[in-house]
Amino acid sequence: MSAKIGLGVVAFAGMVLLALPSVVVLSWIGGAEDRLAIEEGQAAAAPAVATAAAANESYCTPDLQRVLRRVLQSCGLVGEGGAGGRGCQPVQARQVATMRGSDFNALFIPMAERAGIIQFDRDSAELDPEDQRLIEQVFAERGGASWFFVVSRASPEGSVEHNRELSRERAEAVMGHLQRTFQDPELDRQVGLLWLGEEYAQLEADFCDWRRSGGPGACRPADLNRSAFVAWIECRL
Amino acid sequence: MPTRVSIGSVRPHPWTILVLAGAFAGCAFALVSTADFAAHLDRQVHGIHCSFLPGVGTPDVSGATGCHVTLMSPYSSVLRQAVWGGVPVSLPAISVFGFIGFWALALALLGWQHDRRATAFLVLATLVPVLTSASMGFISFVTLGAACKLCIGIYVSSLLVFVGALGLWLRSLGDRRRGASQMGGTSVRSRAPDAHAKHAEPASLVALAGAFAFGVSVTLVPALVYGAAAPDYSDYVGTCGTLDQPEAPADVLIAIGPQQASVTAIEVLDPLCPACRGFEDRLDASGLHERVSRQAVLFPLDDQCNWMIDEAIHPGACTVSEAMLCAGERAEEVLAWAFEEQERIREAAAAEPGAARSMVAERFPELAGCVGSPTARARLNRALRWAVANELPVLTPQLYVDGVRVCDADTDLGLDYTLRRLLDRAEAGTLRPEAP
Repeated sequence: MSAKIGLGVVAFAGMVLLALPSVVVLSWIGGAEDRLAIEEGQAAAAPAVATAAAANESYCTPDLQRVLRRVLQSCGLVGEGGAGGRGCQPVQARQVATMRGSDFNALFIPMAERAGIIQFDRDSAELDPEDQRLIEQVFAERGGASWFFVVSRASPEGSVEHNRELSRERAEAVMGHLQRTFQDPELDRQVGLLWLGEEYAQLEADFCDWRRSGGPGACRPADLNRSAFVAWIECRL
Repeated sequence: MPTRVSIGSVRPHPWTILVLAGAFAGCAFALVSTADFAAHLDRQVHGIHCSFLPGVGTPDVSGATGCHVTLMSPYSSVLRQAVWGGVPVSLPAISVFGFIGFWALALALLGWQHDRRATAFLVLATLVPVLTSASMGFISFVTLGAACKLCIGIYVSSLLVFVGALGLWLRSLGDRRRGASQMGGTSVRSRAPDAHAKHAEPASLVALAGAFAFGVSVTLVPALVYGAAAPDYSDYVGTCGTLDQPEAPADVLIAIGPQQASVTAIEVLDPLCPACRGFEDRLDASGLHERVSRQAVLFPLDDQCNWMIDEAIHPGACTVSEAMLCAGERAEEVLAWAFEEQERIREAAAAEPGAARSMVAERFPELAGCVGSPTARARLNRALRWAVANELPVLTPQLYVDGVRVCDADTDLGLDYTLRRLLDRAEAGTLRPEAP
């Protein structure tokens, strides 16, 4: 092979070396732009990334949604035309629920794992450390729930009026503790208070197995109803 | 001047063959690496080849390989603020190896395998990939903690071409000494240079200067072509949505980085998310973090606290997020630790749900009482609720500059390009149109 041929081969290789990477680069870039155009054409049909949303559990039945919506509206949490202040009184609760007390309680059965029953001493709305601990524990287990319900009651001892007032004080004691502990400006839009006195939806012994702040012995119906039932509700309205 | 030699005289020396083989391998590794990089110019997620056999095997889509870490790192390309994704450093590597192969071929064809100057030039040329490989290898293994098989292929190829070139040059020095001895009448028996070499003209300085200029051109031209032809994605900047409720509760915001800039940003992050760590590295390397006062909102992809996912993607992330909220001004310290220990924490938490809490308590004993407390859990829940209020996508990281979202496709390779433009517009007050 002559040196001229060798030189020619080298020159040819040089030209290839000079041109080929650029050609490849242009091919890559052109291919990427083509793929992007195709992708954008298909983007509308493609499933989007999941969007952050509140939870909506299976227990959120139409019945519960209906009650919840009425309670929240009537108790001043959502919408307009509420009761003119925070919370619902027993009469209102019965009216908005439009169901028997036992059916009302049954709506909460699926929340057994995450609800709590704060048990008060007789004729008292004071929270002891165990009550406070349980309130904080239940409140911290919010997950994707939107609404925190405090449903307070009183045992039948005493007058109806007194028990109505006592259950209101109990609900507000829970609310006050939440405000002091968590200092969450959203609380007013999250917490629904219902005080039922002795008049509506009294708890039965079925609730003995739930998380309670009272001791194992404090499980008579009277003990269970000197209480505030607390739970987050995972329902999208 | 001899101009003719027999074809049998063009015999590549074993050292030359070694250089050619190394250059070919280096080219192949760099080509696959650059192709993987360039594939991302379509703004989509792609698998990345990561094999000691370049281009062989199924591209990895998990993002867990060293090749992925390296490719997505701020060191994989240059000029990132000017060109979307930057110009990949592996592109010049193709040209450099190509030139080395070309020069080795020229040595064989032009009879310069015994030429001291021509072979010395080859040694100098091979120093380029060797020194680059040494520095990139240090970055890869030490800074990034990643073993990228394609990169290792390039490092080994660099070593091969250097060893081959060095061998060829040393041999040419030996030939020269033997030639001098023979001219002095000493009857030293040695292998004579091949017939072509005996008659070839030595490489002139002009020829070497021309080769140098050619080498520089070969290296620069593809990079310039890439830079000039790369897609202009500036139209995408600021088109991926805005925050409906940019005001987050103060107690869920965590200041990250310098806070002197007038432009504010919210970063949605998960302390155990590898993409968030890579994002942080890229942001730091870009220098653009100095131009924005950034606050993090935690969004752990862990079903212990995040109801929006079915199973924990990053086990332990809820606990570490609570630790960051509990840490107050030391939150960045917790984040740095979490980024450093991500894999270990995730693995431990996947095996034993309480492990993350123990690890936090061991590293930050002062936070042990706070992590897991109702108040810490409620604060973290508020952060998640903020994501719900803004209907954010369930993914991390996300960055919102003055409430305007950086597109997902721009949070990795295109971050510098996009963020610089967003910040320019935010500083000029033109990022968000005023409400009528």
